[in-house]
Amino acid sequence: MSAGRVLVIDDDPQIRRAMRASLTARDYQVSDARTGEEGLEKLRSAGYDLVLLDMNMPGMGGIETCRLIRSSSDVAIIMLTVSNSEKDKVEALDAGADDYVTKPFSMPELLARIRATLRRLPQPPDNTDLKQLASQGVIIDLSSRQITVRGRVSHLTAKEFDLLSYLLARPNKTITHRELLQAVWGPDYGDELEYLRVFVNRLRKKIEPDPSKPQFLLTEAWAGYRFDFPRPGPNQKASGP
Amino acid sequence: MAETAHPAWPETHFVFRDFFRQALHVAGRVLASLSLIALITLVSYGLLHVNAATTGFFYFVAILTIATAGGLVESTIASIAAMLCLNYFFLPPIATLSGAEPQNWVALFAFLATSLIASQLSARAKRRTKEAIDRQHEIERLYSLSRALLLTDATRPMPQQVVQQIAQAFEFPAVALYDRHRDEIHRASKEDMPEMEQQLREAALRSTVFVDHGSGLTIQPVRLGGRPIGSLGILGSSISEAALQSLLNLVAIGLERALSQEAVNRAEVARQSEELKSTLLDAIAHEFKTPLTSIKAVTTDLLSDPGHGLLQHQRELVTIADEGTDRLSKLVTDAIQLARIEGGKFRLHRQVHFPSSLLSAALRQMKPFMDGREIKVSAADDLPLVWVDGELIQMVITHLLDNALKYSPSGSPISIDARSNQGRVTICVTDQGPGIAEEEQSRIFHKFHRGKTDPILKGTGMGLAIAREIMDAHGEQIWVVSDPGKGAEFCFSLPVAGRSGHE
Repeated sequence: MSAGRVLVIDDDPQIRRAMRASLTARDYQVSDARTGEEGLEKLRSAGYDLVLLDMNMPGMGGIETCRLIRSSSDVAIIMLTVSNSEKDKVEALDAGADDYVTKPFSMPELLARIRATLRRLPQPPDNTDLKQLASQGVIIDLSSRQITVRGRVSHLTAKEFDLLSYLLARPNKTITHRELLQAVWGPDYGDELEYLRVFVNRLRKKIEPDPSKPQFLLTEAWAGYRFDFPRPGPNQKASGP
Repeated sequence: MAETAHPAWPETHFVFRDFFRQALHVAGRVLASLSLIALITLVSYGLLHVNAATTGFFYFVAILTIATAGGLVESTIASIAAMLCLNYFFLPPIATLSGAEPQNWVALFAFLATSLIASQLSARAKRRTKEAIDRQHEIERLYSLSRALLLTDATRPMPQQVVQQIAQAFEFPAVALYDRHRDEIHRASKEDMPEMEQQLREAALRSTVFVDHGSGLTIQPVRLGGRPIGSLGILGSSISEAALQSLLNLVAIGLERALSQEAVNRAEVARQSEELKSTLLDAIAHEFKTPLTSIKAVTTDLLSDPGHGLLQHQRELVTIADEGTDRLSKLVTDAIQLARIEGGKFRLHRQVHFPSSLLSAALRQMKPFMDGREIKVSAADDLPLVWVDGELIQMVITHLLDNALKYSPSGSPISIDARSNQGRVTICVTDQGPGIAEEEQSRIFHKFHRGKTDPILKGTGMGLAIAREIMDAHGEQIWVVSDPGKGAEFCFSLPVAGRSGHE
């Protein structure tokens, strides 16, 4: 049985060969593409679970490719890049990547990241809480990972969905950075604060009526994040849809 | 103030000729005025036979006309001529200049006085009008000059354009501008210019005015905020003092603008070359790291899975290739880092940071290379915030840690200590390695210097050089304290935020 379908997009043929050999040996089904354009074409014609995307490619480039993939698909994306700078990491995550690996990387590390990215959280949040949210104009459909805020519909990627459902299942409680990272990404994680920063921003853009003034997904400085459920109260009717 | 006739100046001819021309001009107008009086006399006396009073009014109108159209000289002469004609032809006894009745004499002198006063007034009004028109022209010229100075062509030297614009706007025969900053003289002239370099330099240096009446040359210092920044020489200047001062102010602003424009251009060129260097280094990093990536993927994959069934010697060989890949990768990373920051020509992105966050970020980055070794971190809770480029300072810490890990026996303790003293935060990385001999301590921060205790070439010889470049760029220190045999302590200082005018 296949461990997952992986599309490798990299302009270097040797890297594509090495990826194909290593990943196939671990039961992944592997396809590859030489450019962003070719990768997008392949993504349109077949379903994939994960894309390994080189950041520095001639033509469209990795960041632009990532953005275009994200605009139409929730497939998991891991960016491969030469630079280790904070700026590049944030740029990749902002473009919609789920994770980021610096070249040259060791194969066990990449495999661990692939597993972490494909990992799904089992627990669905309590439905009554979602009704509370709906009364505030935020409709979350867990089965289709679709969110509607004031008529604006958006889809969550798998990792965004996991992060949101982990927070939703623990309402009104501050969850530390480390706990969130280890729960959503995996036990090898814990210090990658920039991941949380970018993902929380991405989530806010989708669920907050005004992302610049979050009312649900709140930052607890130096500690972590908290999902604030609207409490039933006198204001509730006035602010309902 | 120097007032010298320039020997090599043939201008005296011009002045003389000018005077002559002007005298001829006046004589012509006097002749025309007298002809007008003669004509009135002829018409009144010979044709119309009108009386003295009517003729007096005719004369009076003519004199006013002459005063308005001509000048005081013509109208005065015409007044006297008219008075004489009135006496001779119209006042009894006719055809004599004497023997008039006393009341006629009174009338004649009243006529003369009225004519003269009217001439005077009219001439003065005319002079005023001319002055006003002149001022207006000057203002128009100053305006067109200031407009032209604002719209200068950035590709040509500004002072040269300033001179040309002045010569054009004011129609001076010759203009020269001395730019003190560049020590250059720019000229614009229709006529040959006299030798005046010395005077121009002197006027700018001593802030004095030089006037040569013989040649019509004026040299004025150009000042900005009281500081002389050049001088302007004008030949044949006829503009008012006020206009001249405005002109000098415009020139000062023009020169200053040229200077600041130049500074902006230089900064832009520097920025572009930094950008080009950065792009080039990115490309080199990519080219080197790409093949390393496929090698590393292969070696680590082979080594990761015991099920691949590598024989022991094969595993040893693949390990050698894997370590070689790591080393090459580190060399490329360090060489590019060093190239990026070498010479201090890079921009710091300073922000406020917690020293402890910088330490933990660096430790996180070094985690894969620690091989399970313990690193003791002691940082006081109340350390002040520091004002640094966080990414670069993390780099300094990782290089020092890397050094400590490489040059001390595995299993020996490494400690990091951060403390605050005298407005700085000092961070030290201490190891229990062999230490550094005193004569070597000054050289270890040099490029490509490698410790004598590095028999298997663990380091790249660039880490400490990178750390020192980064500290230099911050204007801070990095140093080592070591007793051979007792380990080494590498320390660097960081500026505390909010101490020198920043956040």
